[in-house]
Amino acid sequence: MSAVGIHAARPSGRARLPRFSLNRELTLVAVTVALVVVVGIFNHDFIGVQNLRFMLLNSVVLSLVALGQTLVIAMRGIDLSVAPLLGLAAMVSGLLAQSHGLTLLEAVPLCLAMGLVLGTLNGLLVATLNIPPIVVTLGTYSLYSGLIFLYSDGTQVDSVPPAYAAFGNGHLFDALPLPTPVLALLIVLALCWYLLRHTRFGRSILAVGNNDAAAYHAGLPVTWIRVRVYAISGMLACFAGLMFVCYTGSATVTAGTGDHIELQSIAVALVGGTAIAGGRGNLIGTVLGSLFLSVVLTALVFLRVPPIWYSAGEGLMILAAVQSGLRRRRATP
Amino acid sequence: MQVAAKASNHPHASASTARVEHAVLSAHGVVKRFGPVQVLRGIDLTLRPGRILTLMGENGAGKSTMFKVLAGQLQPSEGALALNGEPLKLASPHAAHAHGIHLVPQEPLLMAELSVAETMFVGRLPLTGGFLRRVDWSDVRRRARNVLDTLGLDIDIDSCAKTLSIAQLQLVECAKALLHDCRIILFDEPTSPLTSYEVDNLFAIMRRLTAQGCTLSFISHRTEEVMEISDDIAVLRDGKLVDQAERGAFDRARLLSQMVGREMRDVPRRTSSCATTEPMLEVAGLAHKPSFENIDFTLHRGEVLGLAGLVGAGRTEIAETIFGIRRPDGGEVRLGGEPITGIACHALIRKGLVYVPEDRGRHGAVLPMTITQNITSGLLERVRQRAGLLSSSDETQISAKAVRDLRIRCAGLDQPLRELSGGNQQKVVFGKWMATGPRVAILDEPTRGVDVGAKEEIYELIEDMARAGLAVLVISSETEELVRLCDRVLSIYEGNIVAELSGDAITPQAVSASYLGKQATGESTLEGAP
Amino acid sequence: MSSSPITSAALRRQGDEAPRAAGSDNAVKPFNRRRWLPIGGWEVALLVLLLAVLGGFSAGVPGFFDNTSSLLALSENFLPFGLVALGLSLVIFTGGIDLSVGATASLAAVIAAQIWSLYGVNIWLAAGIGVVIGALLGALNAAVIIWLRIEPLIATLATSFIYGSAAVAIAGDAPPSGFPEAFNNLGVGALSLGGFQLPYQIILFVLLALGFWLLVSRSAFGRKLITVGYSAEAARYSGIRINRILITAYVVSGAMASLAGLVLAAYYSAVRPDMGDVLLLTAITMVVLGGVSIFGGEGNMLGVILAVLLLGFLRQGMLIAGFSDMVTTMLTGGILIVSIAVKNQFNPRGGSLGQRLWALLRRSTTTRGSP
Repeated sequence: MSAVGIHAARPSGRARLPRFSLNRELTLVAVTVALVVVVGIFNHDFIGVQNLRFMLLNSVVLSLVALGQTLVIAMRGIDLSVAPLLGLAAMVSGLLAQSHGLTLLEAVPLCLAMGLVLGTLNGLLVATLNIPPIVVTLGTYSLYSGLIFLYSDGTQVDSVPPAYAAFGNGHLFDALPLPTPVLALLIVLALCWYLLRHTRFGRSILAVGNNDAAAYHAGLPVTWIRVRVYAISGMLACFAGLMFVCYTGSATVTAGTGDHIELQSIAVALVGGTAIAGGRGNLIGTVLGSLFLSVVLTALVFLRVPPIWYSAGEGLMILAAVQSGLRRRRATP
Repeated sequence: MQVAAKASNHPHASASTARVEHAVLSAHGVVKRFGPVQVLRGIDLTLRPGRILTLMGENGAGKSTMFKVLAGQLQPSEGALALNGEPLKLASPHAAHAHGIHLVPQEPLLMAELSVAETMFVGRLPLTGGFLRRVDWSDVRRRARNVLDTLGLDIDIDSCAKTLSIAQLQLVECAKALLHDCRIILFDEPTSPLTSYEVDNLFAIMRRLTAQGCTLSFISHRTEEVMEISDDIAVLRDGKLVDQAERGAFDRARLLSQMVGREMRDVPRRTSSCATTEPMLEVAGLAHKPSFENIDFTLHRGEVLGLAGLVGAGRTEIAETIFGIRRPDGGEVRLGGEPITGIACHALIRKGLVYVPEDRGRHGAVLPMTITQNITSGLLERVRQRAGLLSSSDETQISAKAVRDLRIRCAGLDQPLRELSGGNQQKVVFGKWMATGPRVAILDEPTRGVDVGAKEEIYELIEDMARAGLAVLVISSETEELVRLCDRVLSIYEGNIVAELSGDAITPQAVSASYLGKQATGESTLEGAP
Repeated sequence: MSSSPITSAALRRQGDEAPRAAGSDNAVKPFNRRRWLPIGGWEVALLVLLLAVLGGFSAGVPGFFDNTSSLLALSENFLPFGLVALGLSLVIFTGGIDLSVGATASLAAVIAAQIWSLYGVNIWLAAGIGVVIGALLGALNAAVIIWLRIEPLIATLATSFIYGSAAVAIAGDAPPSGFPEAFNNLGVGALSLGGFQLPYQIILFVLLALGFWLLVSRSAFGRKLITVGYSAEAARYSGIRINRILITAYVVSGAMASLAGLVLAAYYSAVRPDMGDVLLLTAITMVVLGGVSIFGGEGNMLGVILAVLLLGFLRQGMLIAGFSDMVTTMLTGGILIVSIAVKNQFNPRGGSLGQRLWALLRRSTTTRGSP
């Protein structure tokens, strides 16, 4: 190992892994752009503004959920309950808006509070009761699914007030025709990125994910960190639920759970470069991964591939992503 | 072993107490017990400011335990610590850190995915900014860079911790100590995983640290490097301090005799030998780089052959390679004349080769499973089956026979193994392998974690095995054990056979000296440092 | 110190009170402490709960227990979950997980149905092919896990997407339905024993449950499976071929999932490419509730079988009592968490945070378990 040399000249090459590695992000962007261009050549509608906007919007809900999932996985946990949490927030806010005139300004704090409470419950169960996270969130998956059903009582959301629809599809500033959900996602991404990268709490998430025993020895409050991360994941899932109902204008009891968004969010986080064994989280990669997924799925539609093969694509994508990550890990044992 | 401990005294204890006023960190009469086992038997130790104190001793002398006490990882059962003359109580590694004491473990705990700079700051990242308190990365990087520069380390602070070698990790730990104003740094056997170049490097840095006023202590087995780097030397034997003096007072002969014990130790030696000349296990030129190479020996029927050496000398790797767990890079192994090189272990077991691993909890046995399940786990194919189902009566018979024969003390055959004492657990592992009817048994540290009384029983078991015509290969880090058991002893030093002792030549002194004294003659490369 | 080599190990020890049998040469008299039933506290608790559920609903809910036949007929609604749970528990015993069981069930059933409808193959032969397909899909899972060295959670997540897609693709727009009556009987039929109706599903489940129980607790394979689950390292040093055990576990899991898919197909007399999706979470819940540790090794089949019956009858009883499907789902989730929390309180593997961290520390030096 030449780098140890005291008086040795600095190695000419840079370190193998610079602190801010853009490899995964650049790869994803390149692959996505390439896909857009190639499909666009065959079908000009694909690169039309309408379609680009659609693909962007389509990825927002999954991105929001996957950001929370990324934090949880980076801490070496897993959260399956995001799907029913999304559905619950969608149903509660949608039904209240539909029947009781809940305004959007009330809906946001309501959803966040709901996510905070239920996510904290996840966290407490994982961190204090010594139950593996996959079992806990499997249990709360059923619990929260039941809550959706209890609350909706057979009804469903089929129309939302115009303010909601505008929030889900319109744009805030005329000068900047960026759809509001995308703007919201960018803000959430910025917050999460800042949290993970520039705060003590964020760094301790990674420390716990790397080696929880060592983190404990270094004096970090491991239990408390776990609870907070699950709470954040819950909040993001519920916010995504609100976004879902705004964007689609409808929701049923199977919102979230029906699409297996819990599995999709794990897949997207892995594609984005987050390590399933914890310790490494790539939020930008997650968002790009979910955008990539959206582009792939839309491209399949344009290429007239039967929609049935869509999730096979997802599966292969996960295997490829994990394999590429694995090879890099093996190179430096 | 106990006899030896009683016979020894500590001649320099008075000298060390006289020096206490100059001490930075000192220990007085430290005793540490783990259950009934006493590991430290009243140790007085003094670290003097700006100097390097080396702890020397054989395997199991209590050096690492002493360090853990000093670093707050273990609480002493008796005795006290003092820092600059003030009494010191260390409740946790955290508290020790707060007092400026830092222990560099042999293989530092890893935060694999974090940057080198950040691993040095885990748990105490500096903050900056007003309303939004954020981590001051420029401060982190500047301070990390500075401290690495102070030590002259050319490690990229932005690279992932997992890309570092063990040597680099140790140096980063060392830098971490400086970073957090730890002036007392303890190194737990830092040099054994390092190459000689890396050792030179570490020593240069250690000298620089002492020049800056740090107080260091480290553990080593290698007399050569100890003589090179130390200012003071303390020798531990059987949990007692037998000698502490300045380096000048020592020469190699004195070091060796202190470590091994000057007086004749009253070690029982086996009287009868059942060794024949019929070769059972022949090993020729076996190599598994970088662990060992050129291993040649022949093990005969009825013979007990010992492998002596330091922990990490490559003995376990030799055993695992013979047993087919690792693939050899070269060489040949024959079992009763039949070549078995590279055959996987499940086939070797059927051919009559068995291996009792070093780590009973991880490899040797499954502690949550029952005695019967453990005993039959190596020969499930041979348990009588009816319609594809194991005959529980046959299983019980096999297990009952083993329990009877080996006198395993248990509440019942369906008792989970973890409820048994270490000695009885080990006997179950023996029983598991004896039930397969082996021809050759490799025993890796057969009495690890076994209390003194049960050790003798295990020795008798091994003798019985030899008497029954097995060829036995014993790997042990306890010299007395090899003396007690073996017809022949091979000394392994850094992956090579360096000595062979047989018959009456096998004495504790001779066995220890055969590998401890090796570096006095053979390892001149370590002296190449400026 | 004379007789057989090992027997002559002399007894020279001080202060160790061995249970000596008077007048016997032996220091111990080996015996098994429990002879009557290989049943632990957890299984007893499940059994008591099961009886309580059966008794409570029979007494309190009209329509739950009209006669034994009707009670048994209720089980037709949940036994496919049980079939999946039986196979899945083998995988969980090894410390892995198989998220693809739902998709495997769908795919195998869809393929079998298409073979039957497109090529006119005998339905039973087609069903047999379906089971073989399920086994192959399980083998593919094992291959991905072993040779690509991808964690079971991720590997089977990915394959579940792939199998699910394939199922949709093969099912086409109008998946086959209207199977022959004889085949449908597998799902809804019953064996008439003099006025007493014994559903075929129960016969199938009981036979398989018995088989799995014996396989895990009494066969050499089962013993190796448990050993691998507790400690793959120790298993390797004992000469157990770990990969064989893993492959077998995943193959059996796939085959059982496909069987469940076929039973569902018979139950509905139709196939749908998403009909297996409901199986996964409930089946995992059954296995975990049955006392099988998600980390592997611990637990036994009897617990799983009891958990299948407990959860199944609980859900059916609640549905009959007028609770909605989702309330029962919710209760399932609650039971899962509470039961594991309670179990951990009595579990020597559990413990305080400190113990847990210690366990993790030791675990991380060997292998990193899946989350």
